[in-house]
Amino acid sequence: MTNPAPQPLVRFDRVGQRYGGGPVIVEDFSLTAQAGEFVSLIGPSGCGKSTLLRMLAGLAAPSSGEILVDGARPDPARPGTFLVFQDANLLPWRRVDANVELPLMLRGDPRDRRRARVGEMLDLVGLAEAARKFPWELSGGMRMRVSIARALSVAPRLLLLDEPFGALDEMTRNRLNEDLLAIRQRDPFTAFFVTHAVAEAVFLSTRIVVLATNPGRIARTIAVPFPYPRPADLRESPEFLQLLAETTRALRGVLPP
Amino acid sequence: MSRRRQNHFWLLPAVTGVLILALWYAVKGFWRIPSFILPSPAEILRAGWQERRSLASAVFVTGQGALLGFLAAVGIGFLLSVVMAFSLRLKQSVYPYVLMLQMTPVIILAPIFVLWLGQGLPAIVAITFMICFFPVVANTTMGFISTDRNLRDLFTMCRATRLQEIRHLRVPAAMPYFLTGMKIAGTLAPIGAITGDFLAGSAQNGIGGIGFMTILYFSQLKIPALFATGLVACLLGFLFVGGVNLLHRALLHRWHDSMAGRE
Repeated sequence: MTNPAPQPLVRFDRVGQRYGGGPVIVEDFSLTAQAGEFVSLIGPSGCGKSTLLRMLAGLAAPSSGEILVDGARPDPARPGTFLVFQDANLLPWRRVDANVELPLMLRGDPRDRRRARVGEMLDLVGLAEAARKFPWELSGGMRMRVSIARALSVAPRLLLLDEPFGALDEMTRNRLNEDLLAIRQRDPFTAFFVTHAVAEAVFLSTRIVVLATNPGRIARTIAVPFPYPRPADLRESPEFLQLLAETTRALRGVLPP
Repeated sequence: MSRRRQNHFWLLPAVTGVLILALWYAVKGFWRIPSFILPSPAEILRAGWQERRSLASAVFVTGQGALLGFLAAVGIGFLLSVVMAFSLRLKQSVYPYVLMLQMTPVIILAPIFVLWLGQGLPAIVAITFMICFFPVVANTTMGFISTDRNLRDLFTMCRATRLQEIRHLRVPAAMPYFLTGMKIAGTLAPIGAITGDFLAGSAQNGIGGIGFMTILYFSQLKIPALFATGLVACLLGFLFVGGVNLLHRALLHRWHDSMAGRE
């Protein structure tokens, strides 16, 4: 994962964002990520983490600078990127399988191919049993799994996750972190992951970007050297705890007084 | 539902009903109010039974007008809301006139409808339509414009066409609002048809609607029958609301919060 590729998959070049005449949300943000990386963005509220993801997804355009994904400006009209939203963001009137099927249906895949892919995805996230349930019948963690299955159904090269596990209890979150890495082992994707939780960032990432606020900018970048697959007990190793402490310290440095 | 709760469900309204009836008889007896001013409940039921044939056909005629006007308002209202959801400009051009229609009192429109459509069912349907139309359009439009932003982003990210977004996102998301509009329209439809019948009804073929029967009984001073007509109109209203509630259940019970507490 560390051998340098000639062209990065994601490139932020001095990106700035402000809405109308409002405050500057992101300023002078430059970052490149190679294919296969797992980049976590962590920082206090208001540091523009979610905005960065929305720009990567092509849902918002930067007001200055340039973003390139795979050599082109992000545009929802181009496939290859998918955003997993903060809450699971499922359609409440569609059953689990129909929710996973939605992106495939909207892009016009034939029915039997959709069916097969949905089955594969539900197996992948361990929800084959729940296929015919409605979202309200699921726990928060299960809903998030459905959301991830939906995102992965289109086999995106770049998966954006906006605090996907923020609302879950720690045990469920750890479990989903492990599952996410297992899924990535089978179905590789590059990830940009926004989170508030330091342990989660250290466990998942190849790189942690600590953001400072007002305006949002990079305060520090921390490389995470642990090889994949990462066992669950990595969390108890001294190296992990040391990196956890380092990231926590970096984060404390950027907290507004 | 527990046994105890179920008892309360029936018992409490029944007790209220008995109290009201007792009060009714007490007032009538104490002040010796004659039956052509305030008939007793028993007299009303008796008059209703005597007039059962006229009242039944009146309910049928009014029900027909109410149903047709209601269906037209729901159908056209829904379609108009969908069209307005497609284009903000179109919505801005049309919506003020929808409001204007609502603001114009039906009592003024009624003679115009009679002038154009003649007395009878078409005019009654038109008046019912006028009364039911706005709640459907206002609520459904509200549903279409208040679709969750994250869900809209999801559809943008999936490169959904406008038509796909309307069909797979806006319409289902607006369904609870549409049904609310329909519920309000459902309570208004019988009132609209009775008003229409009162203003534009006729007894051609010897059958008048509830509004027409009201005029008839009043002019003949058949006051207990007049009260019975009110009772029958009330039942018709419940029938409509019950129908819409069934539809609400059928469409939403699987997924919507308004059906919470299921199982």
